[in-house]
Amino acid sequence: MKRMSLPLRLAFAPALLSGALFLGGCGDDAEPCCDSPDSKINSELIITFADQVVVPTYAKLATRLTELDAACKALATAPSAEKLNAAKQAWQAARVPWEQSEGFLFGPVSGGYDPAMDSWPLNLADLDKVLTNGDTLTPEYMGNLENSQKGFHTVEFLIFGDGGTKTVGQLTPRESDYLLATSAELKRVATVVHALWTQPSDGNPPFRDTLTTAGKAGNTAYPSIHAAAQEIGDGIIAILDEVANGKIADPFDAGDPNLVESQFAYNSLSDFTNNIRSVENVYLGHLQGETKKGTSLQDVVGVGSALDVKIRGQIAASITALAAVPEPFRESINNAAAADKIRAAQTAIRTLLETFQGEVKPLLTK
Amino acid sequence: MRRAAMWGALLLWTAGCGEEAPGVPFAPPRAGGATTIDNRSSLAFMQPANNLLPENDRPHRDGDAAFAAIFVPAPSRINPGLGPTFNNDSCNNCHLRNGRGLPVMGHSLQRTQLLVRVSLPNGTPDHPRGAVPVPGLGFQVQDRATVGIAPEASLSLSWVEHAGQYPDRAQYTLRSPRVRIVPTDGSALPPDMLMSLRLPPPVFGLGLLEAVPVETLRSLEDPDDRNGDGISGRMNEVWDVATRTLVPGRFGWKANSPTLVQQSAEAYFNDMGLTTPLFPEADGTHEVSADVLQAAVFYSQSLGVPARTFLDDPTVQRGEKLFRKLGCEACHRETLETGAHPVEEVSWQRIHPYTDMLLHDLGPELADGRPDGAATGTEWRTPPLWGLGLTQTVLPYSTFLHDGRARTLEEAILWHGGEALSARDGFRALSNDERGAVLKFLGSL
Repeated sequence: MKRMSLPLRLAFAPALLSGALFLGGCGDDAEPCCDSPDSKINSELIITFADQVVVPTYAKLATRLTELDAACKALATAPSAEKLNAAKQAWQAARVPWEQSEGFLFGPVSGGYDPAMDSWPLNLADLDKVLTNGDTLTPEYMGNLENSQKGFHTVEFLIFGDGGTKTVGQLTPRESDYLLATSAELKRVATVVHALWTQPSDGNPPFRDTLTTAGKAGNTAYPSIHAAAQEIGDGIIAILDEVANGKIADPFDAGDPNLVESQFAYNSLSDFTNNIRSVENVYLGHLQGETKKGTSLQDVVGVGSALDVKIRGQIAASITALAAVPEPFRESINNAAAADKIRAAQTAIRTLLETFQGEVKPLLTK
Repeated sequence: MRRAAMWGALLLWTAGCGEEAPGVPFAPPRAGGATTIDNRSSLAFMQPANNLLPENDRPHRDGDAAFAAIFVPAPSRINPGLGPTFNNDSCNNCHLRNGRGLPVMGHSLQRTQLLVRVSLPNGTPDHPRGAVPVPGLGFQVQDRATVGIAPEASLSLSWVEHAGQYPDRAQYTLRSPRVRIVPTDGSALPPDMLMSLRLPPPVFGLGLLEAVPVETLRSLEDPDDRNGDGISGRMNEVWDVATRTLVPGRFGWKANSPTLVQQSAEAYFNDMGLTTPLFPEADGTHEVSADVLQAAVFYSQSLGVPARTFLDDPTVQRGEKLFRKLGCEACHRETLETGAHPVEEVSWQRIHPYTDMLLHDLGPELADGRPDGAATGTEWRTPPLWGLGLTQTVLPYSTFLHDGRARTLEEAILWHGGEALSARDGFRALSNDERGAVLKFLGSL
């Protein structure tokens, strides 16, 4: 779903006419001809994005999945209602940085780690078999299982149950074992992804360096600063499109609750909201609650400019519109009373998408 | 309407940049003709064709969903049918972000993305030009299985390094793969088993390549090298499952698939264990509907091809001249014309894929020794080079060639042999700066 919708592509045609899409076309390392000297499209923009947004988000994901694993261990060791509740809260807390990373779903995570954490649908057939077969759940055994019976949604299913009704009395010892094996692997994946951004591996530099040295000689991933800037803009556009026209539209249009992600925990709308927060973090150049350091997209737009005010307003409006949709989303999609609210949320997000597509993207490509 | 806008854009393209002959509007080559999109981010292979017709927006979106759909074993309310044995669970989990797969195997977190094709040298295939299956493995080693079913084998991959140096004494290291196949049932592998590794290739631009008339490709053939340029080139001849006849091959590393619909159905069947109308169950039913198969096919036909970048860079321009001078263009043909095709968007386009779609002998070092259709164990189909410069953007740590052995484009060039030997040796003889220019040109594609 990471693509422009047709109306947007049509809306974009005028930008084509102006040549606004011409990306770093005179590029060499100094990019002399297409940049004005005071251009905000510079390496500082990329460094702020990497160091103040991407890396801290993955660090938080690794931390929160470590905490989830600890909560699952505590639950398995001495099951109680409190421990189950703590595990549920830890799952929801870990979901926040994951969804907040989806505004920049590129780089190391796309090498097969994304599905290792976040595959949907759930492979219930195989999950049920393992819950009854008595096999020893070694890391190697878990490695042979499918992503669709591991990751976030398997943990979700085991601790929330269908519809969040799970009680500690229903959690079998075998489910506990499986939960532990799954949470341990989730922690491992998130740790690997964070490490790929921050540390050298297999003779490759940390991916943070690959991104922040955009435009330097020999950079085969980002041969110009504009390419890296476009990466930032495209990530925002892709997630907004996916939330409005995929995550919400697919189950809503089909009236099919099976297409709703994070449905066991009733966490769908929270997921969508954190996707919008991902956009906000990238735009402002820092995570929520942190202070701004360095240049971000907001500076490219112009802090306090009419466009900046519009963007921040539309981000807020998208989050407000999502909050107005009643959970559980998987039921709201077939609830006539909620339909207008769902459409309003889609409209709000599409409006924000059009602003980034039509007014921000051209600033990144010229 | 939009097409007109596109031409307008071409005329205005270089406003503010570059050196143009006065009065002559410079029109840069549009890699995929009117399908060309302007995107150099990691999403560059995931955009719809620029000229996608409004009525095809929905089919393209459905194809996008089909490509992303993760399959699970039956029973499931959505996407059932995976397995019982398979390699992966979705199109996009091998063709990452519509680009390549990584050269990884086994039970790492990243799974097996590099496939192993196998066959026996002797025996009776079940159709002309067919391969002979290996008992217990068939034609492709499926190293994953649903719970309770044994996978065919386990796979592991290691690399052997080979040191080399340029005439100017600059050092380099190449690597080649070693694969270990351990059948789950403990049986020994046939000593004469043939094996070929296959890295999943990018999936954009395939509709355009399907739309190049067969007559055009035939006209490029020179199987007996009558013009004496050291380059032969011929089309593969492969079995068309639908018509049950031998037809020219176009797709895959050895051009071993004739059409995108067959290529896609083969991927569903071999890689995911999913039956389709082309490869049904024994009772004639199938797990993936004709509509879903068609959606996946249409998606690969209707993706945009990324435009080149750095067109005005003097180093890139120098590299482009060297690329031609070295003779790379003899196989990596810059320009082809498409003809009529059911998909209007890819019909009648002038494209720059840098391929002739033909088989060439690339020499013993790159050979897999496994014939495929009419292709010998030393022949490979020229892969297109469009979008090549985006490889590491779309997927960090990506590698090149059929088995992912080349970690850089430089290594990929150095592995060329056979018909490409003189071009490779020409590259080796260049100065360091000139080699860099060739690589920068390739990076601009």
